[in-house]
Amino acid sequence: MTTASRFEAIGDKVQAGVPLSASEIAALSETCNLLRLGALADERRRKTRGDRATFVRVAEVPATGIPGESVSRPAGEVRLAGCPAAASRVVEAVRAAVRAAGNVPVSGFALDELVDLCAGDVARFDDLIAALRAAGLAYVAEARVERTADPAWIARAAAGGVPVARWTVDSSLAGGEALRRVAGWGADVSVPVFAPLPRASSERPSTGYEDVRQVALARLLVDNTESIQVDWRRYGPQLAQVALTFGADDVDGVSPSDASQHGLRRAPLEEITRNIRAAGLVPVERDGRFRKLRTHQP
Amino acid sequence: MTERLVDGAVRRVLDGGRLDAAEALALYADLPTHRLGQLADAARAARHPGRIVTYIIDRNVNYTNVCVARCNFCAFYREVGAGDGYVLGFDEIFAKIDETVAVGGVQLLLQGGHNPDLPLRWYEDLFRAVKARYPDFKLHALSPPEVIHLSRLSQLPARTVIDRLVAAGLDSIPGGGAEILVDRVRKRLNCYGKATAAEWIDVMRHAHDAGLRTTATMMYGTVERLDERIEHLLRLRELQDATGGFTAFITWSFQPSNTELGGAGATGVEYLRTLALARLVLDNFDNLQASWVTQGGKVGQLSLACGANDMGSVMIEENVVRAAGAAYCMDEVEIVRNIEDAGFVPKRRDMQYRVLGDPIFRERQVPRMTELATAREAGDVSVPAELDRYPARSLAGKRRRQPVV
Ligand code: SF4
Repeated sequence: MTTASRFEAIGDKVQAGVPLSASEIAALSETCNLLRLGALADERRRKTRGDRATFVRVAEVPATGIPGESVSRPAGEVRLAGCPAAASRVVEAVRAAVRAAGNVPVSGFALDELVDLCAGDVARFDDLIAALRAAGLAYVAEARVERTADPAWIARAAAGGVPVARWTVDSSLAGGEALRRVAGWGADVSVPVFAPLPRASSERPSTGYEDVRQVALARLLVDNTESIQVDWRRYGPQLAQVALTFGADDVDGVSPSDASQHGLRRAPLEEITRNIRAAGLVPVERDGRFRKLRTHQP
Repeated sequence: MTERLVDGAVRRVLDGGRLDAAEALALYADLPTHRLGQLADAARAARHPGRIVTYIIDRNVNYTNVCVARCNFCAFYREVGAGDGYVLGFDEIFAKIDETVAVGGVQLLLQGGHNPDLPLRWYEDLFRAVKARYPDFKLHALSPPEVIHLSRLSQLPARTVIDRLVAAGLDSIPGGGAEILVDRVRKRLNCYGKATAAEWIDVMRHAHDAGLRTTATMMYGTVERLDERIEHLLRLRELQDATGGFTAFITWSFQPSNTELGGAGATGVEYLRTLALARLVLDNFDNLQASWVTQGGKVGQLSLACGANDMGSVMIEENVVRAAGAAYCMDEVEIVRNIEDAGFVPKRRDMQYRVLGDPIFRERQVPRMTELATAREAGDVSVPAELDRYPARSLAGKRRRQPVV
């Protein structure tokens, strides 16, 4: 079989939802034909998600030193950045953020940070999740694939009423390893979003090829999450938009600010909706609980 | 109807035929991005079957930012007499060449504003001085509007200006100042005065007739319509049919920050589609450059999947795009890493696209560059002494050159 016809055969299996073998996954991961991979991912994305691309405006606030007054109004999510070193301070940070956020959902922390705070003790973890829920935390912001050895913690968090919002993975887990891990955990571990992140190393940052390949592979191999997400700040507007044509369907981390020193046409909301439309998709704004807020008409 | 036109255009490309304006428009408007990119990639592979992707080590030096043209999309220029207007001295330019040679550089891309106080003789003296010191170093200098400016300033035909510059050491002409070669657009960008579409093409024709090789460019994403972008490409293709003098085509999107025109820039997807379309329309151009300076390294690298076969310049210094808010930097190590990661073989080249060899940093130690240099340190308003040797045309220039008593 030629490389091209093998690729077509793999594509047919993917579109039909038939699981791939390890060698087929490797073939997809290693292909030099980025556009063919992208086309396959785009087709799958349109089949499963239609022509909508969702985005969320996120007000990020430090988990230490929450502002007393309300945070930026147009935000659809308030996200706590960082994690205090004691469980009681984590809960306190959530309370302060919820007070400042009003009706806007609050998320924060990585799952492994919470597990570490409880020294891996199941009972303490359940208590912490219960306290976070009572404080108003809508979602644990992320589960980092590299640091999540046992997906059972995800199920515990969800059972306690604070589900995990997204898997994150930086592209240092090469060759689709992270994708295989998540896909292998199956439908029992329910997380709405898979978010491959660009590698931020100053010595060897990920390339554009690596980033969009990771997005396309996620779309093709991870079928136990609703969305494949790109981060507006970490990808940058240009690459995040290109990623929307390689299988991504959700954009995280759009600034809630309405202002731009360069005028209204460059304000974040204008920019994200224009970029989504220029990628041939319909921009739909959502909040941090994945509820649709509105479709942005041109 | 649209579908038939798109299918017909795709068939035309696959059959090796030539696209007309309507077909090109249909491809841009309606063919999905991956499909358009794949067609362009196949056209690139047909011309460059060895999977070689080239780049050049050179330095982008802007000898003056003083300009009377006042294009409304430009964030770089300063008015005559402005406090932060500058002209580089010959010694400053020599120092920049020394730094360029140290990292394996082979040429200067030398462009600047239309400064009424720099006569033709200043350029001739500079070029001669560079060639005397660095005989093998190349001068890729003065875009067509600068040639026209010198022609007006010196009251000599453009052809004569080119001949004199070549005699002084000019090696090739960069394709800057083309923007969109449609006069309706040029009038709205306030760049019709510096060069009409016909004048730009005429200078390039003269240059090609004089035996110079040049590049061609397109800045899109301002006020032009899609059909005008395509008209631009067709005009370049027509001249290339006649002269064969263009070595490469480079396109970039308008960078709006700090410009009078303002507004928003084109998106990454639009860049990749425009590049891919250019590869298909410009069927008589060998080389298409990726503009990582305006798009960033990541989208710049993705250009290699959409028809580009060249990563442009290591650059070392950049002032014009930076003035409009974009400040990306890739040294040779980064450029090579990006080329190889995309599955291509990196080779150094010269302006004529002749391969010079493998990456220089693999042959010898060269300093890493994590930031592009600027024309001058901020706040440096020194005036080079040799300017006194040349007559100034502007009032401000005359005053500056007369000793105060
Ligand atoms: S683009 Fe060139 S010619 Fe136009 S104003 Fe800027 S420096 Fe002058």
